[in-house]
Amino acid sequence: MKITKLGEFEELVLLTVVALREDAYGVEIKRELEERLGEKLSVGSIQSALKRMEEKGFLKSEFGEATQKRGGKRKRIYTATPYALKVLRELKEIRAGLWKSMPRLAHDLKII
Amino acid sequence: MQSSMPRPPEWPLRLLRFFIKKEYLEEIEGDMEEIFYDALEQEQSLPKARRVYILESLRLLRPVLMKNMSGFQPVTQYPMFKNYFKTSFRSLMKNPMSSFINVFGLSVAIGICLLVYTFMEYDYSIDQYHKNKNEVYLATFFATNNGATQQYGTTPRPLGELLRQDFGQVEKMCRVEDRNVVLKYEDNVFHERVRYVDPAFLQMFTFPLKWGAASSLSDLNTIILSEAIAIKYFGDENPVGRDMLMIFNDKIKKTFTVGGVAATFPKTRDIDFNFLINFENIRIAEPAYDINDWSQFQNATLIQVENPSDLKAIELKMEKYRVLQNAAQPDWAITSFAFEPLVTLHERAANIKDGIAHDYNVEGRIGMPIIAIFMIVLACFNYINIAIVSAAKRLKEIGVRKVIGASRIKVVVQFLTENIVVTSLALVMGIALCFFIFLPWFVKFTGWDLELRLLNQNLWLFLLALVFFTGIASGIYPAFYISRFDAVRIFKGSLQFGKKNPLTKVFLGVQLVLACITITAGVVFTQNNHFQNSRSWGYNQKDALYIEVPDKHAFDRMHAAMVRNPDIVSASGSTDHLGRTVSTTILHTPANQSYEVNQFSVDAEYIKTMGLQLVEGRVFRKDAESDKQTLIVNETFVKNLNLDKPLGQIFEIDSVKYEVVGVLKDFHTKDFFSKVRPAVLKLATEENYRYLSMRVKEGNGDETYKALQATWTEIYPEIPFQGGYQEDVWSSYFDSVDRSEQFNKVIASIAVLLASLGLYGLVTLNVSGRVKEFSIRKTLGAGIRNIASVILNQYAVLTIVSLIIGAPVSYWFTKAYLDMLFAYPMPIGYSGIVMALVILVLVLLAVLATQIRKVLKLNPVDGLKVD
Repeated sequence: MKITKLGEFEELVLLTVVALREDAYGVEIKRELEERLGEKLSVGSIQSALKRMEEKGFLKSEFGEATQKRGGKRKRIYTATPYALKVLRELKEIRAGLWKSMPRLAHDLKII
Repeated sequence: MQSSMPRPPEWPLRLLRFFIKKEYLEEIEGDMEEIFYDALEQEQSLPKARRVYILESLRLLRPVLMKNMSGFQPVTQYPMFKNYFKTSFRSLMKNPMSSFINVFGLSVAIGICLLVYTFMEYDYSIDQYHKNKNEVYLATFFATNNGATQQYGTTPRPLGELLRQDFGQVEKMCRVEDRNVVLKYEDNVFHERVRYVDPAFLQMFTFPLKWGAASSLSDLNTIILSEAIAIKYFGDENPVGRDMLMIFNDKIKKTFTVGGVAATFPKTRDIDFNFLINFENIRIAEPAYDINDWSQFQNATLIQVENPSDLKAIELKMEKYRVLQNAAQPDWAITSFAFEPLVTLHERAANIKDGIAHDYNVEGRIGMPIIAIFMIVLACFNYINIAIVSAAKRLKEIGVRKVIGASRIKVVVQFLTENIVVTSLALVMGIALCFFIFLPWFVKFTGWDLELRLLNQNLWLFLLALVFFTGIASGIYPAFYISRFDAVRIFKGSLQFGKKNPLTKVFLGVQLVLACITITAGVVFTQNNHFQNSRSWGYNQKDALYIEVPDKHAFDRMHAAMVRNPDIVSASGSTDHLGRTVSTTILHTPANQSYEVNQFSVDAEYIKTMGLQLVEGRVFRKDAESDKQTLIVNETFVKNLNLDKPLGQIFEIDSVKYEVVGVLKDFHTKDFFSKVRPAVLKLATEENYRYLSMRVKEGNGDETYKALQATWTEIYPEIPFQGGYQEDVWSSYFDSVDRSEQFNKVIASIAVLLASLGLYGLVTLNVSGRVKEFSIRKTLGAGIRNIASVILNQYAVLTIVSLIIGAPVSYWFTKAYLDMLFAYPMPIGYSGIVMALVILVLVLLAVLATQIRKVLKLNPVDGLKVD
């Protein structure tokens, strides 16, 4: 595969979007990720990752419903494109492959 | 209900709306609100939720999310700027006349700014080269007299020594006394002024020595010279070790050995010296000098502390000295002491009376920057006006640029760049003008040794600031004005350029007003000079001579010799003399109020000899013992003390009662820069005669003067002659009035030149823009009257309005300036303003006439061929 230009943080956000499905909008993604990572994230970092990935064709988005809490402003729901899913899968395989070669390395290290 | 809900703060939202891309706004705004209310729901406090909101908003300002701000485009700007420079030069070359006016005007203004900068820099660096300038302080005191509190630079005699003994913080102390002596070396005899100082003087004022050692000052028999003095007596050779005879007075003489010669003093100095001798010598020169006398003052006391913060502690404990002084000298009761640091001494010198530091440049410090700003403003207005009109010729270029894709900001940047190019060009010329013309001229007539130090870092910072300020101030309006036009309308030709813009007219009006002010100033300053020169001195200064004598013996011999001269009408003796020496004394009224007045101790003939005019009462009677307790006062005295019937009033001076017997018309004891102060005349003790003044038969002044000199040299070959014409006592004052007139005239002429050049450029451009119209008029048979009236009409209303505004402004401005400079300013009449207005209108008409002539000579066919 080609180099996908998908950063580590972007990959995490992308995976969260996939996991959240129809709930995948800004604040929810932030909440989910914060919980999983165990650290605070800023709206800015999430938003910029989302916009960048949308530009690169990993994400599509459309307006969702508006709530009172949001001051009547609509949510933007993000969904992963098939291309994104493909890339994610590929990345996972590459990683898995790499992990397979790991024990030997670990063993070598132990000897030292 | 909605209103009671807590709301997130407003401003971050506005920030977001301004910076974030429109298409993202709804989503992001919603997210932010949700975050805010989430934070509240999690039972966080409102301030904390707000803080979170603000922080998150700021973190949203990322390049990915932000609008594409024009001007922040990441593309390199270099080629565009290269193009701007190219077009700048091309358009400069295309209109050489208006470019010359712009560049020349700006460069003159910049040259003057530079001159002013050099002057200010010189002024602020005076006495700043002493290494201990922050630790050395001059002891001063405040005293209240005539109801006003004044700071004095002198100190009671014992103060210095006590300060040194009582305060551990006082590292060094130096007393200063200045005295006149006669100095003799071989056959050279001169009157000189020497400084008695403690040896610490040269450690506090770090003047380097050219020869000898500073420590030699602790030797009582040593003298230290300035370089100029060393050259005067010894030429170029090293005089260390030579002996000089100092004649303190008739009986007391002492030989000093030269112990050192100071290196050339820096130009930026105020405090310096001619001769330094050890302070203890004052006991030899004046056996009666009592260093412990609290009632007497000495010229200066300086202290040096280790740390400037120590001074607070010292100032707090000055009270005991005040008590001592007040007991000894109730007439000059000190109200408080203060210490003035050397670093700001020169700046503050104008406020400190009788201090060792002087300030002759107060007016300069205020006047010069005003002049500089005025010039820059004038040049900028020239530029603005010409730029707006000449832009008409560049509309197509702007149109093309806009069509190709230049945004408005780009056009503005282009014009500002062009401006900076022009200003930089002007800067180079300005530096040259200042360096080769203005500065040498200024130095020549002020005598101040200013220099433009081109390697000075501050100078370049100043120049940089000047270029940017001028470039942007003069360019910002034309740039925004020109860049506003629609490309389509430019090409369609439907643009009514400049006609509907009231600001253009306002600018031209302002320029006329400025021109009006400068011309008025020039005219009024000239008038004022005549006024000052012809001002009455209050007595007859013509045909009067005076000579200074060392003592009564000399006076008698000179008097006896001179009264035999048939040309002398009257001769008199005095302790003080008009224009030379005046004493101040404290006078007590019967109601026991005290006033500080000028006192002249004179003989009975003095009033007649000097031609002082009696208003009321009588003069002193000759040989009348009873008149020893009478006073003759001046009008200011009567006025200031509110005396209805001055004659017969009794006043007390030094516990002796005096009766007022006469009132004199006000007379000037000092030059016209200072106001007439209340003065009293009383009879002098003959022992104290120090001046012989003489009235000479009209027209015989020169011969008598020569006779006077000859007589003196005959009687006292060893002591140099010190006397002169009464008319010359203020020659330096009249020189300085002449100089300031000359300066103001030159400045005014330059300003008038700038203003008329500006008008010329403007009118020329305007007329050449209407060449087609005039050609059509001419073909249709328009004659000189029609053409002239068309051109004149355009400026008539504007000129009239500007002059109506300009006249009072000029009046006010010149009046304020004169009031600031002179104690007795000329009352400004209408003549100055009227003359200025006439000159201005003539200049305008001359400018218009050249253009009308040009149009008349124009061949209509050529005019119609344009474009």
